[in-house]
Amino acid sequence: MAAPCSRMASRPICQFITNVRRTGLKHTGVRQISLGSACRAATQTRSKTESVASPWKLYGAVCLQRLPVISQERNPIEDQFAELMHQMELERSLLSDHEQRLLEDSERMTRKQADNYDSDEEEADYGGQETITAQDQEDTWEQKLKHFQPALRDRDVGGTPLGSVERCLGDSLVLLVQQTVGKETIWLLPQAQWEAGETLRQTAERGLSSLPEADFKATFLGNTPCGVYRYKFPKEVRTERCVGAKVFFFKAFLSAGSATSQNEPFLWVKKTELQGYLKPPYLEKVDRFILNL
Amino acid sequence: MNPVIRKASFALHSRVLDQAGLLFRASVSVQHPIQGSLAFSNERQYRTMPTHGIGKYKHLLPKEAPKKKKERQQMKQIKTATDAEYGTLNVKVSGYDMILVEHYSQYIHNLCNRLGVKVAESYALPTKSTEVMVMPEQGTKMYVDAILKTHERIVQLSQLNATLCPTFMEVLLKNQPEGIQLSVKLHTEADYQARFKARPELEGLMAQMT
Repeated sequence: MAAPCSRMASRPICQFITNVRRTGLKHTGVRQISLGSACRAATQTRSKTESVASPWKLYGAVCLQRLPVISQERNPIEDQFAELMHQMELERSLLSDHEQRLLEDSERMTRKQADNYDSDEEEADYGGQETITAQDQEDTWEQKLKHFQPALRDRDVGGTPLGSVERCLGDSLVLLVQQTVGKETIWLLPQAQWEAGETLRQTAERGLSSLPEADFKATFLGNTPCGVYRYKFPKEVRTERCVGAKVFFFKAFLSAGSATSQNEPFLWVKKTELQGYLKPPYLEKVDRFILNL
Repeated sequence: MNPVIRKASFALHSRVLDQAGLLFRASVSVQHPIQGSLAFSNERQYRTMPTHGIGKYKHLLPKEAPKKKKERQQMKQIKTATDAEYGTLNVKVSGYDMILVEHYSQYIHNLCNRLGVKVAESYALPTKSTEVMVMPEQGTKMYVDAILKTHERIVQLSQLNATLCPTFMEVLLKNQPEGIQLSVKLHTEADYQARFKARPELEGLMAQMT
């Protein structure tokens, strides 16, 4: 494991500037993350260690996640508590400017309608009637609210296909891809084989960009891998040179997705649904670094 | 015989009373300096008096440095990035809803404390008000529709470990509330200077000087 690890360790950290906006639901249903890296210093190559051919094949895989777009649904308990707190705050709160204006206006109206109304006195106090009272403003605001249509929280009422990025908007989803490894086609995180001369992070980026019919723009957060999966090949395939493979996982976030994700090879799944697609030993390692927030 | 004895006894009694009175007065006069009244400050106790220096304690306390006046605020040293750590980073949280902004910035601060990331400073920038003006279909005059206030809070981190960074950022991004913008930047001196108010008279005088 000498070569790639040492190079990764020696790579100086690039100063990064990230700007993440989380506004309301947009068409893409994806949070926009823009990353501007200032002066990514060139990778320093230390004195080359002896290139011993290790018997493990190296792969770099990327765990691409789509961040949640809206907040999660509340539990019944959370709902009750929120209502209770809201009620308490309302009872303890003071009147705002607008509410005070409303009260003053209504008092003025009642005084006007009383018999002993002295308009000169009133106007001296208040400096002339205002043309728009607070009540009128409130009415106009209510009208506007009626015209406003909020977007639906749950877009997959009809059951969006699993391949769509705009599935469960309240949770974070992971990208799964069907690839042929050895003789079988299995679902796994997109990966690519490591070639000499590149860092494992670049391998992961390459694995992501080499996916057919997709172009996901991802932001990698750091140079450190978040997990490893090591497996040995079945005995028939094993030779002296390659005993097995090691897969290094890197985390990335989807910054701008593409709309051509209706095809089968892709799958966006929640953490709880991973079990149905990944093999158990693989799942065990992957589960460790996917946060269920 | 009796009156003589009586006189003698009376004299004895009176002498005893006198002495008692003297003692009493003496004890009274000794108590007053202990109570610390200024009127008796010129009544110094003799060093031979056994209670001399009773109540002194300042010599037992550790020496305090003399209190100096508050110096002018200096800028904290901006740390540079090393191989394993980032320099001084500014995590800026901004949005329209003050409750969410404040709670989120508090969450970030607490998270840093928990993870062991050192928080250099945590401050707020002044609120910016944006007036939304609407132009009606008839007429050209625009009228004010609403006033939106943008609140900003900054949490300044000093030594963020490069291995911890991806996890930290992920937790932050996954817990970001709706309507809140998060931005992570390097801290510069310009950022520091932007917090201060402009002093027009001073600038005018400086311009006159040069």
